[in-house]
Amino acid sequence: MTLYQDIVLGTLLCAVGVSLVFLALVLRRYRAEKRRALRDARDTAITRNYLKRVAGHKLEHRDRWRRRARLRAVSRILPLLRGGERTRLLQIAELDGVLSETIRASYSLYRTQRINSIQLLQRFGSEACIGRLREMMASDRSQRVRLEAAFALGANNALPPPREILRLLNALCRQPTRLDIALLRSAAPLYPEQMLLLLEDELPEAWRVQMIDALGWSESMSVIDTLEEASADPEPEIRCAVMRASARLGHPAAVRWIMMGLVDAAPSVRLQAIAASLQLTLRDAVPAITRLRHDPELWVRLRAEQALEQLEPVDEDRPRLGAVA
Amino acid sequence: MTWGGFMEAAATGVMWTAFACFFVVAMRNIVALCQLLIAAWVLLTRVQPGEGARDLWDRYADLTLPITVIAPAFNEELSIVQSVKALLALEYPEHEVIVVNDGSKDNTLAELIRSFDMHRTERTQIAPLQKTKILGTYRSRRYPNLLVVDKENGRKADAANAGIGFARTPLVCVIDADSIIEPDGLLRAAEPFMYDDENLIAVGGAIRIANGCTIRGGALQKIGIAKEMVPRFQIVEYLRAFLMNRVANAHTNTLMLISGAFGLFRRSTLVEMGGYRHDTVGEDLELIVRMHRFMRDRGREYRIEFVPDIVCWTEAPVALQGLDNQRARWQQGALETLVRHRGMIGNPRYGRIGLLAMPQIVLEDILGPPAELLGYLVLPAAALLGLLDPMMALAFFFVSVVFGCALSVGTLVLEEQQLRRTPTAADLMRIGVAAVAENFGYRQINLWYRLTGIRRFFRNDTTWAAVPRVGFTNA
Repeated sequence: MTLYQDIVLGTLLCAVGVSLVFLALVLRRYRAEKRRALRDARDTAITRNYLKRVAGHKLEHRDRWRRRARLRAVSRILPLLRGGERTRLLQIAELDGVLSETIRASYSLYRTQRINSIQLLQRFGSEACIGRLREMMASDRSQRVRLEAAFALGANNALPPPREILRLLNALCRQPTRLDIALLRSAAPLYPEQMLLLLEDELPEAWRVQMIDALGWSESMSVIDTLEEASADPEPEIRCAVMRASARLGHPAAVRWIMMGLVDAAPSVRLQAIAASLQLTLRDAVPAITRLRHDPELWVRLRAEQALEQLEPVDEDRPRLGAVA
Repeated sequence: MTWGGFMEAAATGVMWTAFACFFVVAMRNIVALCQLLIAAWVLLTRVQPGEGARDLWDRYADLTLPITVIAPAFNEELSIVQSVKALLALEYPEHEVIVVNDGSKDNTLAELIRSFDMHRTERTQIAPLQKTKILGTYRSRRYPNLLVVDKENGRKADAANAGIGFARTPLVCVIDADSIIEPDGLLRAAEPFMYDDENLIAVGGAIRIANGCTIRGGALQKIGIAKEMVPRFQIVEYLRAFLMNRVANAHTNTLMLISGAFGLFRRSTLVEMGGYRHDTVGEDLELIVRMHRFMRDRGREYRIEFVPDIVCWTEAPVALQGLDNQRARWQQGALETLVRHRGMIGNPRYGRIGLLAMPQIVLEDILGPPAELLGYLVLPAAALLGLLDPMMALAFFFVSVVFGCALSVGTLVLEEQQLRRTPTAADLMRIGVAAVAENFGYRQINLWYRLTGIRRFFRNDTTWAAVPRVGFTNA
């Protein structure tokens, strides 16, 4: 056989193989479409069965329904239920082995399947699910899976303490991402004291900034002294984080350092201070912000203009934005 | 030279031409096969956007980077209001829409002013990147996140640059005014920025053909397949380009093109680079090539990513008339970019961009089209004259046409397995038929259009003809 014959044969085989796979997929889709009515009827029956059982009706447990179908039904009903009904549904699902199916999938060899199972575990949010999510966050071999498990725990307000989060996600040896920041914010209301203790440690600057930012989400006024102390920090990024946290916390004592921020030497701090003044609707800050319309930094001038528009609305027909140019 | 000697030399010339054509086409297919395999691997192991991350994102919306959507508009009076309404309704925590009226001759500006209750304002332009004059800026009384910039005509690149200059957000999304963005398209495209450590500078997304779909109020209501064959062929082409080529290139950090119909960029990088170039017809390709060059020349770490999810739908030409201009323009743009950045080709200083991506464009856009078209003539002729093994001519047919069918159908397999956005099994079959049929005629016609583009490039033809549109099916 010559090289050209090999090429012809190889190409032909490749084309036939791909075409067969395609035809199989078309056939699968066609059969799925044909069975849609049956599937819908079955899904309705499963949903009805679960809703009746949640309402306390005694119904026989239908073994002929596949676990996957039941899993789909439970995850469909779950967002519609609250409180006791939700707990009952989770208990029933646990008895039917639906949750165990999800937990089994979370041990899959494939990362994608483990992550898909995390989404279901998050949605269920039962004790067993949270336990498994914690386990995955702590010991899964894939960093991405650990991260996804952390997000799922964050969504269920079940994150471990911040020191554990940083350790499990190998956080301190890399720069924080926006989702890391979201995780810290999510942990802040659960562990405000631990956040304060952690700030006493030697932390990389980028992470210290984010810890201070997260304090604003702690909903605890006990952090205000730490914020005051940090407002005089030599690092502008720390002072910026103080502005963000103070604006979020809304403590009246913060007004003093927000006003100081408006005359800070660092433009980024002035920007954050304007944003904080706007968030807290500090009308006392209007004179200082008005002065910032002549700031040497373009972004500060623009932000000041925007803030003034909102703090002291003017007649829209009277142009005033051109002043910054 | 004797007649015999001349004939011998001619025969040798024909043989070498045939071998060269065969080699180039085979190389293109080997590259395409590698891309298909890489894309299959990426899509099979891809992590779908998680609910946990989305939930945190919703809860801490201030962490999402605000986006300015820039929509350059030229003579769009019939559709601009619906398009802008759809842009304002996009799901995203904080986004501004800047419509740049690029010197429209019709009532585009008047329609916008009337429909959105706009009044003249004086917005400061942070970076004047455009070459033409700004005539005015308008703000809406009803939609605080809508700004209209009126300017003299200067083509899309100039209009996009004007919009980038007015943007104040960290990210800008440059689109075509007639692009239909998926309601969560911005969210999907911006998701990589949530995992980013400040190195990500641009993200592209998959674009699909909207012909045959039902559009209402500038938004996609129902996915459909066009009745005409030309748009169906283009569906296959787009799938190949986005699901195979871009996914594979992004995975190997060699993504060289983010479509002009939808691209998300870090504003600061665009401003630093001076925005789009005005003197090319392929400004989207040129921008990304220059972006690679800019970052590598400065030794900065950077990433350009691609989201395989569909973020945007666009109308394609329904007939060959219209397609000819579009394809010739793409080819001309590719050549202009290659010539302008020829110093990068094979240059180890530019890493895998210089050593892999740029030579791939040379193979695809300079050598590929003429080699394949010439091969269709030379190989059978040489076989008939007894200069070559007839099996070689048959192998050429298999390598170009049959292998082309396999690649197209392979991409459809990926689409059905991963995205499943084709409405029904019958539609899937229709596209499957188109994937095979496009290799018998349409593919060769396209090669001819590309040769036209090469000719235009050498003539330095800068005329720009709009692609004729027939509009969408309204519900």
